Amino acid sequence: MSAQNGINGWAGTILRVNLTTGSITREDTLPKYKPFVGGMGIGYKIIWDEVPMETEPFSEEAKVVFSVGPLTGSGVPCSGRTTITLLSNWSKGKSILDAHMGGHLAHGIKYAGYDAIVIEGKADKPVYVKIDDDKVTIEDASHVWGKGTFETNKILAGEAGPEFDVASIGPAGEHLLGYSTINTAFGNSGGAGVGGALGAKNMKAIVVRGTGAVKIADPVEHKNLCDYMIRDLVGGNNNHNVPSRPQSWAEYTSTVKNRWQGGPGVVWGAAPSGPIDTGEQPSGDIQVAAYRAVKGVFDYGDIVQKYIVKSGGCASCPVRCYSEYEVDVLADYDLPTKVSNTCVPSGSVPTAFYAKGCMHDFKEEGDSKIVIGLHGAYVMDDLGLWEDYANLGRDFAWCLENGVFEKKLPKEEYDSIPWQLMKDGDPRWLDEIMGRIARKEGEISIIGEGSYFFYKAWGLDDAAKNEWGVNMYDKIGGNNNVTYNGFPKHHSSEDGWQSGLLYNVMYNRDCMVHVLTNFVRSGSPFEEVIKPVLESYFGEGCVDAPKAYTPINENKVKLAKWCFLEKQWADSATLCDWMYPMTLSTSPARKYVGDIELDAKYMTAVTGENWTMDDIFEAMERISAMLRAMTAISFKIHEGETNLRTSHDRVPDWVFDKDPDFKAFEKGTDKMDRDDWEKSLTMFYEAMGYSTETGIPTRETLERLDLADVADRLEEYELI
Amino acid sequence: MAKENFASADMTRRQFLKISGKSLVGLTLSASFLSLVGCTQDQVDDGDVMVWALPQGLLVVNQDKCTGCQRCEINCTLVNDGAVSSYMSRVKVTRNLFSSRNGSGLYTDDHWTYFPDTCRQCADPACAKACPKGAIYADENGVKKVDEEKCIGCGACTEACPWHMPTVNPITKKSSKCIQCGACVAGCPSGALSIIPWEEVAAAAQAV
Repeated sequence: MSAQNGINGWAGTILRVNLTTGSITREDTLPKYKPFVGGMGIGYKIIWDEVPMETEPFSEEAKVVFSVGPLTGSGVPCSGRTTITLLSNWSKGKSILDAHMGGHLAHGIKYAGYDAIVIEGKADKPVYVKIDDDKVTIEDASHVWGKGTFETNKILAGEAGPEFDVASIGPAGEHLLGYSTINTAFGNSGGAGVGGALGAKNMKAIVVRGTGAVKIADPVEHKNLCDYMIRDLVGGNNNHNVPSRPQSWAEYTSTVKNRWQGGPGVVWGAAPSGPIDTGEQPSGDIQVAAYRAVKGVFDYGDIVQKYIVKSGGCASCPVRCYSEYEVDVLADYDLPTKVSNTCVPSGSVPTAFYAKGCMHDFKEEGDSKIVIGLHGAYVMDDLGLWEDYANLGRDFAWCLENGVFEKKLPKEEYDSIPWQLMKDGDPRWLDEIMGRIARKEGEISIIGEGSYFFYKAWGLDDAAKNEWGVNMYDKIGGNNNVTYNGFPKHHSSEDGWQSGLLYNVMYNRDCMVHVLTNFVRSGSPFEEVIKPVLESYFGEGCVDAPKAYTPINENKVKLAKWCFLEKQWADSATLCDWMYPMTLSTSPARKYVGDIELDAKYMTAVTGENWTMDDIFEAMERISAMLRAMTAISFKIHEGETNLRTSHDRVPDWVFDKDPDFKAFEKGTDKMDRDDWEKSLTMFYEAMGYSTETGIPTRETLERLDLADVADRLEEYELI
Repeated sequence: MAKENFASADMTRRQFLKISGKSLVGLTLSASFLSLVGCTQDQVDDGDVMVWALPQGLLVVNQDKCTGCQRCEINCTLVNDGAVSSYMSRVKVTRNLFSSRNGSGLYTDDHWTYFPDTCRQCADPACAKACPKGAIYADENGVKKVDEEKCIGCGACTEACPWHMPTVNPITKKSSKCIQCGACVAGCPSGALSIIPWEEVAAAAQAV
């Protein structure tokens, strides 16, 4: 454990578990991995060094890296994140990607003494990995193989004892489905195919207890920083910084529906001994921070209050962005009533599995979304089924609406599906239909292999190849695909003009960058707060008003680069990207100005070394360059493509062709302009030091970042 | 102790010491006292509210308000150890968060029941009695503390405590337990932990 070996911040050890040989080995984290910081950076470095991009993602030769960073478990608010790095088995190019998981497991890993756990090889029978500080064992998992994640976690945590945390894969992972997760706590998961990557190794779960500590160089200063952040900076989730309804101390009330929903009269209505009023939550008061984000009310409106028991969330986080519910209606269907989730699995995905008009209210007007949404989230979490930021729901809904299943599925299979449950608006439909997808029962399960392979298999990626005349990437409406690679936008140009679109096309999954949407949708007034605060950081013209966009400029590119690097930082540090960076503040006295250098202050207080934001961003440029290099190599290997700009980074037509009555940059539309976009890409590549022709990092850039070995390998593949 | 009107008269720390570390179930509390503690009579009746009589006031734990963020443990260890840890913390929530000895926690069927717990500052402490070196003593305020000079890290205190609150720090090899610094309370973002000064407790009693 770190406090024993004298290192501040980092735990100091990388653990390797080889499931083929049973060997368990350790190596020092420092100095080798320090240039990559932690989390995503360590994961990318390990994959770069040890897993050739030719490797089949769900194979014995592939590796899966669980990693945390120097700030994980250090007490920094919102530092309870685990990053999981792997090769994609579902998006175009089968390239590098990282998944992320909240809950409490990150603390367990760190306190057990590890910065990363590298899972290698393949067990010959189902196993789980048990980590009890330095005692690491590979245990038999045959008694939980086939079970859902809730029961698995209950059994394994119960067997291990009170202080052990657990994360497991479900049937989707066991069946090597592309859309699969690993699940921990309650409703926390890491997606992007982690389930299948572990299932391919016969690894069902990881069980962790850590009795160690993270050593802090300057604990007094560090505690001051943590308190300052909660007192003056933290609002609701996504750091929305003004309350959604009037509070006596508040200067502003949100201009849009935002994620600070708590306030006087808003209650945890199903608390065991009667409703708890979330009350006033003034800026400056640490002891009310957890009442700001009543996430259920954001998701479902005020009628959900009666079902909320309390708020929950991840280790170290004062924001509590999970509502934990008791939905008694579900008992009528013999379904679990205690449910919780905080993102699309509890919203648009389950409801998308019902044809229009099939859902009905249960006890009162408007409660169908609550009952279906929350049961759907439970089913997906139990199956370990990922939704690709709702692409699964969108693809399923389109097929339902257009009679695609009837045409494409074998008649016998189609007739065997209990469609009546869907027509009845029965929540058990989700167990049936999602269960078939997760367990790969029948041809319908191709939809769970990811949009990329699904469209290809059914000819939906080419209007000439299907009777609906559709190209699912380009179609306008009900389509969020932001590239032709099989993943959707995750707050893109609709929230963040060209800047948002730029980082959306850089990754091999939905970008998971919330930096920009957080301030755009904060609820603060645009002219008085958002624009002046952001322009004070990045200069004039970096921010556009909603649907009043302007052509690209240098400051927008600067903003895009900052957002891109901040994502890498969050998942390397590790910090929650939903909250960081602290762009805005809750404090009227600060004029709502956040603190975007707080991260460097934390690093200095925790490690005792002098860290600046420039140091952080240089390391993040390094990780970004590795992302692009690995993407380029895998696109060459698997797709025969040598130019990321014209292949990987290409944006579908709908982004430019939506709102046909408007031209780009007119008031009232967020559509993009093709020429302006090409200019934006060129400027962004230049800012990142990538070739403007191919979008691949130049040798000069790679050498500046001490990545000459990366440049050499790109040269071997004739990519630079 | 009279079941009726507890905390409505003769509000003394001594009175609370008798129920320290226990839930308030069975007591009928005055409206002003309930308001002060920030709970309802129903929460008291359901056993969801526990109190500890501390020198500086009444420590109240309302489990219905605990959101499991572990910041109490973080602040405890940051202030007292200069390192951050769940296991070493003098206030314990992690052991109740997953699959607790009480049968509750995220990985049980009673998912949403989890709460912080800490030293009762027993009048007749089993930990001190069990210590072979006499290292656990009461300070001038009655707070039981570990004398690190004397402690040999044997863990007898941990075993002897019915709630296993004293914890031998695996790094320093010294036992540690709650010294009532209040860092956990000050940093609890949901007010699940609070300390009410004795003057206010007494004032609430007199207000009836």
